[in-house]
Amino acid sequence: MTWQSFFNLSTMQNRHLLASYAVVVIIQGGYASWIAWNWFHAKGTRH
Amino acid sequence: MEQRNPTLRIIAWLWFAISIAVLIVGFREAIFLTPPDAAQGDVGRIFYYHVPSAMWSLAFPYVNFIASLFYLYWRKRDPLKALTADAMAIAAAEVSVVYSSICLITGSIWGRAAWGIWWTWDERLTSELLLFLLYVSYLMLRRFSSTGQTQTLAAVISIFAAIDVPIVWMSIRWWRTQHPAPVFFGGPGTGVDKSMMPAFVWNIIGWGIWGIFILVFRFALERRRQRAEQEAALHAIEASLEISK
Repeated sequence: MTWQSFFNLSTMQNRHLLASYAVVVIIQGGYASWIAWNWFHAKGTRH
Repeated sequence: MEQRNPTLRIIAWLWFAISIAVLIVGFREAIFLTPPDAAQGDVGRIFYYHVPSAMWSLAFPYVNFIASLFYLYWRKRDPLKALTADAMAIAAAEVSVVYSSICLITGSIWGRAAWGIWWTWDERLTSELLLFLLYVSYLMLRRFSSTGQTQTLAAVISIFAAIDVPIVWMSIRWWRTQHPAPVFFGGPGTGVDKSMMPAFVWNIIGWGIWGIFILVFRFALERRRQRAEQEAALHAIEASLEISK
């Protein structure tokens, strides 16, 4: 498989393959970003 | 009081970098290097992300379960240790939701392409959905319950979820299901072609390292919140003592 065929949306098989990989990246990346945002915005307790 | 530890920070960044590097290798193996599945074609490549997510969705619930048991043990004996266990429990519950939701969604997308249906009430799918719903209810309880017993009630739910995990794992061994046979530890006649193993192994390791990274990161965030709440409570008590003088 190549990058071109990975992003080729002409068949249902390819569309579903791309969709499933995108779902993984979006959910994992989204959750990690949410933690990071809270980490940098949470009030620290350092004196 | 929170103190920044530079060594821990370096370890965290290194862990993050290693997990990304392994995931890139895993992606390359899954998409570019492994030949297409003889029966399914390219849609079979969904398995290289689906199977690792499914496997880890059965591992993180046990982190939640063990942390919950420690919470129940320590809640009266040592409340500070109980808070630490509770922070680990909530972090593991969220990571379990992340992995089980990915497992369900990618499985559904694969099912539509391979079986022609998005969903079936098969034993494996139903027990995994139940696991996901148990952890969603766990998190909703933690978020919206206002009783003083929230953490204890949540710990009890985590015990139910831990009971479901072996049922999910064994469902495709106990019953004849529409779900494919086990990829690993399935006995004679099961397993995958040797050419597919590197893609599976790299992605199982990669998503495992990544999962541990987000688990520890979320745990650290929860500990930071707990310390901030403790400090705010302490300030409130000090302020009330000042007023009463």
